[in-house]
Amino acid sequence: MTFVQAMILAVLQGVSELFPVSSLGHTVLVPALLRWRVDESSESFLAFVVVLHLGTALALIAFYRAEWVAIVRALVTSVARGRFGDDPEERTGWLLVVGTVPVGILGVLFESSVKALFASPVPVSAFLFANGFVMLLGERLRRRQHAGTARATPYRTLPQLTWKDAVLVGFAQSLALLPGISRSGSAIVAGLLRDLHHDDAARYSFLLATPVIFAAALLEMPKLFAPDAHVALVQSLAGGVLAAITAYASVAFLTRWFRHNDLSPFAWYCVAAGAASFILFAGKVIS
Amino acid sequence: MKQLSIVLAVVFIVVAVLYWTGHAYPPGVHAKHGIVSVILALLCLVWYRFQTAAPAR
Repeated sequence: MTFVQAMILAVLQGVSELFPVSSLGHTVLVPALLRWRVDESSESFLAFVVVLHLGTALALIAFYRAEWVAIVRALVTSVARGRFGDDPEERTGWLLVVGTVPVGILGVLFESSVKALFASPVPVSAFLFANGFVMLLGERLRRRQHAGTARATPYRTLPQLTWKDAVLVGFAQSLALLPGISRSGSAIVAGLLRDLHHDDAARYSFLLATPVIFAAALLEMPKLFAPDAHVALVQSLAGGVLAAITAYASVAFLTRWFRHNDLSPFAWYCVAAGAASFILFAGKVIS
Repeated sequence: MKQLSIVLAVVFIVVAVLYWTGHAYPPGVHAKHGIVSVILALLCLVWYRFQTAAPAR
C-alpha cells in the first residue's frame, strides 16, 4: 500500500464510519474499483485499520466530550446510589449500556466469520444496496407513523426511550457486522421507528457507536505488535490523524444535517452505488 | 432476581477464566470472548447492586 492509498483510505474511513454509508463496505469496494493491489488480510493492513479506528473513536469522544463526562459521572453516581434517578444524562447512559450489549456479544461471536463469508465486492454491493433500501423504507414508515392525523404517534426524546427500545436499536446496530450495512444508518432507522427525531436518533447512534468502535480498536491493538505487522510509523500516524480529523468534521456536519434533514440522500447514494458496483463486479466488468 | 444476577455474574467470571486459561479454547484465540464475559459479569453485579440498595426515602 502506497502512502497516497493509505491517506485515501484514512479519509474514507473517517467519513464513511459516521455517514450512514458503511465504512467496511467502502473499504472493500473502493480498493477493488480502483484495482489497488492491497492485501486486506495482511497483518500490516489490519494494523493500519486499527489505527484508523482509534482515530475515529477519539474524534467521537472529543466531539461529545462534555456529554461523555456528564454521562459517566451520572452512571457512577447511579451505581453508588444503587437505584435509578431522574437525571436525563443517567438515563441516556443506561440506555447506551443496554444498547451496547447486543452488538458487543454478537460482534465478538460472529464478526470474524461474517467478514470471512461476505467481505468481497459482490456481497458487499448487494448489502450496500439493501442498506439504502432499508433507509428509504425506514423514512417512509416514519412519515406514515407521524403523519399529521389525530392518531399520529408523538415524538419522544432520547431519555424517553424504553429499555426494550435500546435493545432493539442495539440489535439494529449489530446488522453492521454485514459489510455494506451501515452501523449509523441501521441505528438511526431503528431510532426513527422508535419515535425519535432525526437529530436524537443520530445522536444516540453516534454515542452508541463510540464505545463499540473504541473497544473494537482496543481489542485489535495486539495486531499492531504482531510479528508481521510492519506498521509504517509515519503512514499510520498520518492515517490515524487524518481519520480523526475527517471523522470529527463528519460528525459535526451530520449533527447539523439531521436537525432539519433526513436520510434520503445517503439512502439514494447507497442504492445507486450498490447497484452500480453489483453490475460491475457480478457482471465481471471489473474482476 | 437477586440470586439470578449473582449466579450469572459467577457464571460469566468462570467462562472468562476458562477462556483465558485455555480450557475452553487455546489461550489467546478467544481472549476477546473472555473480556466480554468479564464485562457481562460486571453488568450482572451492577444489576445485583440495584436490587439490594436501600430504597429511596
